[in-house]
Amino acid sequence: MRPNKNEESVTRRDFLAGAAYGTVGLALGLNSACSEAGKDTAVSFDPVSMAKSLFRAENPVSRVVLVRDERALDADHNINAGVVAEMIDAAVKTLSGEKDAARAWQHYVRPQDTVGVKYTRCESVRVHTEQEVIDAIVARLADAGVAKERIQAADYGLRLKQCTALINVPTIKVHPLTGIAVSLKNYINFTGRESSYHHEGSVKLGEAWLLPDVQGKTRLIIVDALRPYFGPGPQVSPVHRWDYRGILAGTDPVAIDAISLAIAQAKRNLFKGEEWIISPPPTSIATADTVYHLGTSDPLKIQLIRQGWEKDALV
Amino acid sequence: MTLSTQAPMADALRQPTSAARSLAVAVALVVLGAWAAGRARGEEKMEQLLPAKTAGWSAAGADRYYTRDNIFEYMDGAGEIYLAYDFQRLLVREYEKRAAPRIIAEIYQMSSSEDAYGIFSHDPEGQPVTLGQGAIYGAGLLRFWKDRIFVRVLAEKETAAAKAAVMALGKSIDATIPRAGKKPRLLTALPLPGLLRESVHYFHTQVSLNAHYFLADSNLLNLSPRTEVVLARYLRNGRRVRLLLCRYANAVAAKAAFEQFNRIYFHDRSAPKLPGRVEKVERGEFVSARWDETFLILVFEARDPRTCEALTETVVKRVREVFR
Repeated sequence: MRPNKNEESVTRRDFLAGAAYGTVGLALGLNSACSEAGKDTAVSFDPVSMAKSLFRAENPVSRVVLVRDERALDADHNINAGVVAEMIDAAVKTLSGEKDAARAWQHYVRPQDTVGVKYTRCESVRVHTEQEVIDAIVARLADAGVAKERIQAADYGLRLKQCTALINVPTIKVHPLTGIAVSLKNYINFTGRESSYHHEGSVKLGEAWLLPDVQGKTRLIIVDALRPYFGPGPQVSPVHRWDYRGILAGTDPVAIDAISLAIAQAKRNLFKGEEWIISPPPTSIATADTVYHLGTSDPLKIQLIRQGWEKDALV
Repeated sequence: MTLSTQAPMADALRQPTSAARSLAVAVALVVLGAWAAGRARGEEKMEQLLPAKTAGWSAAGADRYYTRDNIFEYMDGAGEIYLAYDFQRLLVREYEKRAAPRIIAEIYQMSSSEDAYGIFSHDPEGQPVTLGQGAIYGAGLLRFWKDRIFVRVLAEKETAAAKAAVMALGKSIDATIPRAGKKPRLLTALPLPGLLRESVHYFHTQVSLNAHYFLADSNLLNLSPRTEVVLARYLRNGRRVRLLLCRYANAVAAKAAFEQFNRIYFHDRSAPKLPGRVEKVERGEFVSARWDETFLILVFEARDPRTCEALTETVVKRVREVFR
């Protein structure tokens, strides 16, 4: 008789006790919940301070830069392309340690590269990578010496075999099947079997990064965090988008996603005025760390460098 | 060989024999029957629900239709939630007006009014408005349900004029749907005192449960398209507790789910205490499970065992009143 798969379930209890999904619980602000069953530990509710206490590694394995600018969006959510380009420049310069933007980009691409800029654009879900972000990145790739004809920017249809370098340009959206969708999930359509990586299958999302035409090609991740989404889905309700006015940059997709997760979780808690845990837990982040070794999700190994506008940064 | 297998059909087409005529009549009857069945279900009327113009906006581009087979072409990453509600067809029509935001109307035809309510209940956030059998508006997005239809109308950017057009379009669609449908009967089993109405979700399967409330990474409650589930929150002694009420096809299935929950969630491999139990779990919270005929009643996040027991007892009483 086959063993019942359910008998080996990871349950909500395991998750809340910190016994499942590695450090994802920490990024969700559940560290105060790590208690033994039966102990009467009231959960402190201060989502911002919980999130802000994370990602302060002094000897980091991964660094992530967060740049925010109040001028990036106006009151009607219109994007200021010039400001967004400045934010991306600032993020990449800080990440690389260069003072000049073109030189900063040369840390990540070479003139002989064929570069794929993988953005996200779903017709019905409508949390697209903004065109202004894509345009700024493509312009900087050209400034770094990559010929225009060697730059591809697409959601679907990147000619991966030709690409020698990938720039991953996702948005941040809470997702009803995978918990959250940021840089790790942005490669899901490289698999050609998107649905099989949803729901329970999202634990294997890291596989997309190990496909022969993908593995080792990601040079830089730039997250469009101008207007993330934090609601229950399935499609986006504008009620659950907010003007965060941020750009994240890094090279570690797991660290990037862990920080994005903390931002989205803090926003959900603030919105409801109580703990509103992202569901289902984003197992793809934990397994990208522990199974696929794509980076680290451990806040103690991630250093977040914040620049610019600090109001409601949430992390 | 290939040619020889095709020959009889080719011959039949050139020279209709009585067998070919019978085949043709049979095919025609099948097609006619399918058309009639579709007509009876109102499927051909989807486009009739949408006007060509509304408040200065005009339909632009071709209507687009999606079915269970190609829903992912429209909503990659979200289609599973609709499929979990037995979604049948989707019509998308866009409206344009010069120097104004686009408006996108989506008409979802579900297989039952209960499922139209169910998908509507997935995201209840927004301001309630009077439309259909339940409607919510927020920041440019109108959602409502009526009969077997779930409607989303979205202005790409909210302006006063766009909001007025969205509401006008909603009213027009509402008026075109001829009748109301039934709400899930299971909802009537919810006790009303302390119920947080905006917290109620109705669904069938694990995909939906996990999107709202992660219980386990496997199908711990053996949920299936045949199960009906209501997730709701109650205010009890100043604290919000969560009720999960599951209705199974039969008592055997309900008992099996109870036993599995007992075994895995309460880590108890011995025979479960019938008809239910309360346990203290992580964060000092109490969780209870109760089996009652075809129902499984779970209470989470309670501060004390009495809260679990009292809510469960009230639900059991209601369930028996409604279903027996």
